[in-house]
Amino acid sequence: MTVATPGFASTSLKQPSAARLAGLLYLIVIACGLFGVGFVQGSLVVRGDAAATANNIIASESLYRLGFAAQLVMYACYAAVTAIFYDLFRPVSRGVSLFALSFSLAGIAVGAAGMLNGAAPWLLLGGADYLDVFTTDQLQALAFAFLRLDSVGFSISLVFFGIYMIAIGGLIAGSTFVPRILGVLMAIGGLCHLIYHFAGFLSPPLAAQLSAYTSLPGLVAELLLALWLVLAGVNGSQWQAQTGAAEG
Amino acid sequence: MAAGISAEVFVLDTLIVRGDAAATANNILASEPLYRLGVAAKFVDYTVYLAVTVILYALLKPVSKSSALLAAAFSFVGTAVIAAAALFYFAPLVLLGGASAFSVLGAERLQALAFLSLRLNSVGSSIALVFFGLHLVLIGWLIVKSRFLPRILGVLSVIGGTCFLINSFANFLSPPLAAQLPAYIFLPGALAQAVLALWLFLVGVNGAKWHAQAAAA
Repeated sequence: MTVATPGFASTSLKQPSAARLAGLLYLIVIACGLFGVGFVQGSLVVRGDAAATANNIIASESLYRLGFAAQLVMYACYAAVTAIFYDLFRPVSRGVSLFALSFSLAGIAVGAAGMLNGAAPWLLLGGADYLDVFTTDQLQALAFAFLRLDSVGFSISLVFFGIYMIAIGGLIAGSTFVPRILGVLMAIGGLCHLIYHFAGFLSPPLAAQLSAYTSLPGLVAELLLALWLVLAGVNGSQWQAQTGAAEG
Repeated sequence: MAAGISAEVFVLDTLIVRGDAAATANNILASEPLYRLGVAAKFVDYTVYLAVTVILYALLKPVSKSSALLAAAFSFVGTAVIAAAALFYFAPLVLLGGASAFSVLGAERLQALAFLSLRLNSVGSSIALVFFGLHLVLIGWLIVKSRFLPRILGVLSVIGGTCFLINSFANFLSPPLAAQLPAYIFLPGALAQAVLALWLFLVGVNGAKWHAQAAAA
């Protein structure tokens, strides 16, 4: 518990307000993800057609770059959510909170490093002279391969985020200050990410059949949790009681 | 950190010929020991920076626990990204090493692919610098709020980190804009890191005030 001493006031975020901030940042994560990954890539990448995809990216280069920047904002905000959640849920279980923190940071690192593949298309399609040794077709094919790698990198990161969501779900379910149903939803959403992305690695046809069902639960859970935190926050007195119990 | 980035920048600046894949490839092959030394410098740098990150976390935790944790998290992510991107720093050595397995591509294409790898390595640095920039901004903010370090160090760090962020986002959003940024955009960040390092080494922190703030937190 924070005791403010005149002159030495701690600036540690007080819970409730920190939880609202986490909710707000989580909404930014969701918005940037929907825009950067969902909308931009969804509207520019033409399945199985390297030339059409390349032309789309060249024609909408600013949009493509904006999507890239949005993904970076997404990871930065997710790191902030992760740090706040770590503090918020430590009273529930120190070990599980640390476990969750590690998985989220690993996911962010993998996701951010994987964005390199997302930058390759604009390097390959930018018309640089040194690439003249390749034909346009070849450059388009290479750019398309990097886009596929970009999406594999995103899948690897979502394995870590899936486990993170399950851990956070467990922490919420064990907490007395956030509604348990949100924890259950988060765990289901995380499990769906795990199932879908492992299916993607092991059997792409299976993943294609699952895709209609597996991305929605995670999105719904995250959206509801973020909205709940923004609108309702956490139950401050319950949080303090659980913190006191954990420390006592 | 400043030392490592400058080692890499020095090596790459000496060897990369802008827009010329063949000349760059020849330079790398001719100065392979220097190039490999650049790799070693990078890894010394990551190790030291991670140690600094942990020490700064412990030092600044009394100011704000969650912000200090977030600062450390940004630094971990930045380090992971730049270390993963080092793959693309190695790729030219693999592609240009003369292995017969790659001869089907022809020398010119191998040189172009090696050059592309170096471009990707530099995108990796830009991505990492977003996280290192956020690390510096948060460290700076924590120093400003602290009672045991001079505020000016914090202000410098915030400015330095913001410059990293501006540079990276300009690179991603608009290369023409990024080209217009002054070459000394990295200077405030490097300066902030150097001054902070020197201050901590020569002066340290005000121990009594640190304990007081730690007790209050």
